[in-house]
Amino acid sequence: MHRGSINRGLTAASGDARRAESYYIGFMNRFNNAPPIRPRVQLFATCLGDLVFPRAVADAVSLLEAAGFAVDFPRGQVCCGQPAFNAGHRGAAARVARTFVRAFSRDTPIIAPSGSCVAMVAHQLPKLLGVAGYEIFELSSFLAANDFVPIRCNTGVVVSYHDSCHMARDLGVRDAPRILLEASGAVVQPLPRADLCCGFGGTFAIRHPEISVAMADDKLQGSAPTLVSADPGCLLQLGGRSSRTNGVRAVHLATALARGAT
Amino acid sequence: MSSLDRSAGAFRTRAIEALGDEHLQLALDAATGRLRDARLGAWQELDAVEDLRERGREARSRAIANLDRNVKLFTERVTSRGGHVYRCADATEGRARIATICRQANARLVAKSKSMVTEEIELNAALEADGMAVIETDLGEYILQLAGEHPAHIVVPAIEKTAADVAILLAGVDGEAVEPVLEQLTAKARRQLREVFLNADVGVTGANFAVADTGSICIVSNEGNARLVSSLPRVHIVVLGLERFVETTQDLAVCLQLLGRSATGQRLTTYTTLITGPRRTGEEDGPLELHVVILDNGRSSLRGTRYEEMLNCIRCGACLNVCPIYRKSGGGAYGPVYSGPLGAVLVPLLAHAPDLPHASSLCGACTEACPVKIPLHDYLLELRHDHGEPSLIERACFILWSFAWSNPTLYRLSTALVRLGQPVATLTAKRWTSGRALPRLVRRYRD
Repeated sequence: MHRGSINRGLTAASGDARRAESYYIGFMNRFNNAPPIRPRVQLFATCLGDLVFPRAVADAVSLLEAAGFAVDFPRGQVCCGQPAFNAGHRGAAARVARTFVRAFSRDTPIIAPSGSCVAMVAHQLPKLLGVAGYEIFELSSFLAANDFVPIRCNTGVVVSYHDSCHMARDLGVRDAPRILLEASGAVVQPLPRADLCCGFGGTFAIRHPEISVAMADDKLQGSAPTLVSADPGCLLQLGGRSSRTNGVRAVHLATALARGAT
Repeated sequence: MSSLDRSAGAFRTRAIEALGDEHLQLALDAATGRLRDARLGAWQELDAVEDLRERGREARSRAIANLDRNVKLFTERVTSRGGHVYRCADATEGRARIATICRQANARLVAKSKSMVTEEIELNAALEADGMAVIETDLGEYILQLAGEHPAHIVVPAIEKTAADVAILLAGVDGEAVEPVLEQLTAKARRQLREVFLNADVGVTGANFAVADTGSICIVSNEGNARLVSSLPRVHIVVLGLERFVETTQDLAVCLQLLGRSATGQRLTTYTTLITGPRRTGEEDGPLELHVVILDNGRSSLRGTRYEEMLNCIRCGACLNVCPIYRKSGGGAYGPVYSGPLGAVLVPLLAHAPDLPHASSLCGACTEACPVKIPLHDYLLELRHDHGEPSLIERACFILWSFAWSNPTLYRLSTALVRLGQPVATLTAKRWTSGRALPRLVRRYRD
C-alpha cells in the first residue's frame, strides 16, 4: 500500500520512465565488473536551501550519492519564482523562473529537497513560461522509489514528521518520508491534526503574521522535541517560531536521514 | 457599494480580534474539527466517494452550462402551477421585488428560514425600513439576529456563541430568565418561534436547489423551520442565487447525497423538503401564493470565465471546516456573508474585496474537501493575479527582486548584500520577526 502511494507521487511528476531506466542501469551493474555507471541527477538546491539550509542541501547530495547517483549542481540555478507567483506577481515570477529553464537540462532527472518547489516546477512553471514539463522529483520520493535504505542513524529517536501541504496534496508524497525515517530507526510520532498547514505559505506569513504564528504554535505544541520536515519553507517558519517558544528542533529530512535527527 | 465589499486591511484587523478571543478560538477548533471528522466519516461510508464527487461536479457543471435553458424550463413549470418567477439583476432589484410582494400581501410579520442570499442583499433591513417585522427562524440565525450579528459559518451560523450567550439573548425577548442548558434553551426558542410561525403573513426561505425539469424547490434543514415557514404563512417567497439549479431529480439525488454528508456528516438532513407550486385546489394547507426570486447579483459574469466552476458550489461549508485560516480568523474577518475559502473566492468575484484571495496559505485543504471538486486554492492563486491589487511598494519590491534574481551573478551579489545587511533586515522585517526568529545566513550551499 505504501509502495502504491509513492508511485502515485512519482507519476504526478512524470518519472516512471526514468525510474525504469535507473533500475535497468542498477541491474546491468551487477553483471559487469567494470566500474559502475552511476546514473546522473541534477540537484535543484532551491533558494531557501541555498541561502538558509545549505547543510540540508549537502546532506541531500550525500544521500543521493549513497543511493548510487552522480549529482550535478547546475551553477546557473537561482529560484523557481514561486514567491512572486504565489503572491500574484506573474511577470516577476516569470523573470526569475527563466533562470531555472536556462540552468537545467532535460537529459537527467532533477531532484530538489523541497516539495513545494517541486510542485511549482512540475505544475506551474511550464504553464507560466510556455515550456515543456520537467522530470523533477522531491528528494524522499525519489530515494524511496529507488529502494534506498538509509543508515540507521536514528535508532530509537522519537520524531514528528510535518507534511508540507504542497508535497502532500499537490505531489501526493506522504508515505516516503515516513518510511525512510522509520528505516533509519526513528519512531515517528504522529502530529495531532497533521492535515493542518504550519502557517508559512510564502507571503502569507508576512501578510498575516498573527494568524501565521498562531498556526505554527498549534503545530509545535503537538510535536515531539524533534520535528522533521522536507520543505525549507515550513522549517523556516517552524524553526523560527520554536526558537522563540518551546525550543522544538526543526530538522530537514535530508539531514535527519544523512546524519541523524538529533 | 455592495454588502459584500470589503476594504483592504479589514481581514487582518478582524482576525487579530478573533485571535485574542480565547473562547472563540476553542469554539472554532472544536466545531470545525467535529464537522470535518463527521464529513470524513460519512464519506468513508460510501463505496466510491470519488465517483459520487465526480457525478456531483458533472451535474452541477451541466446545470450551469445550460443555465438559460434551465431557468426558462423552471419558470415555465412554476408558472404552470400558479407560481410566479422573477429574475433580478442585483441586490436593489431583488430587495424591491420582495418588498413589493410583501406590501401587496399586507405583510406585517415576515418569518424567514435560513438564506444566505437574503443576507447578501440585506433583505431584513429593507423590509424593516418598510415597517415590517422580520424574524429569523433558524435557531442559529435567530440567535444572531437577537445579538445584531451576522452568520459566522454558512452551515452553523452561531458557531461562535456559547450557551451562556444564548441564554442572555433569549431571556431578552420575553424577560424571563433561562438556564444555559441546551434542552431549556431550545425549548424556550421553540416557544418564542412558534408564535412567529403561526402569525407570519409571509414566509421567506432560501433554496438549496431548484430542479429545472419539475419546477421544484428543494430545501434541507435539521430544525423543520423551513417547512413551517414555507407552509403556514399565506405567501411563500423563495429567494435563490442564479446558480442553484440542477437539471433533473436524478441530479438532485446526487447533490443531496453529497450535501448532507459534506456539511454535517449526515446521510440526509432531518428534513428534505420539495416544493412544487403553491396550494392546489382541493388542498387544505400550503401557501396561497408562491413567488420565486432568482438573484443574479454578479453571478452571470462568472459564466464562460475560468472561475465558472465556482458557480457549482453547493454551500456545504466543508471548505470552511478544513481551512486552517478560517479556524483561526473565524467567519467575521471575511465579512458579513460568505466566509472561509468559498467566501475568499466568491466575494472578490462578486464585489470588491482585494484582501480575501490572500486570506489563505494555499495549502489546498479546501480543494481536497470540496464535494464537487471546485479547485478553490487554484482559484485563490488566480485571483491574487487578477484581483490582488498589490500596493505600489509590494509591486516595486517584487520587480526589484525579480531583476536581482534574474541571473546567477546578480543573485550572488544581492544575497551577499543581504547577508551583510542582516542586522538591518532584523529591524525592517518586523512582520516576520515580531513572532519568529530570522535565520542567520552564513554561507550559501553553492559557495
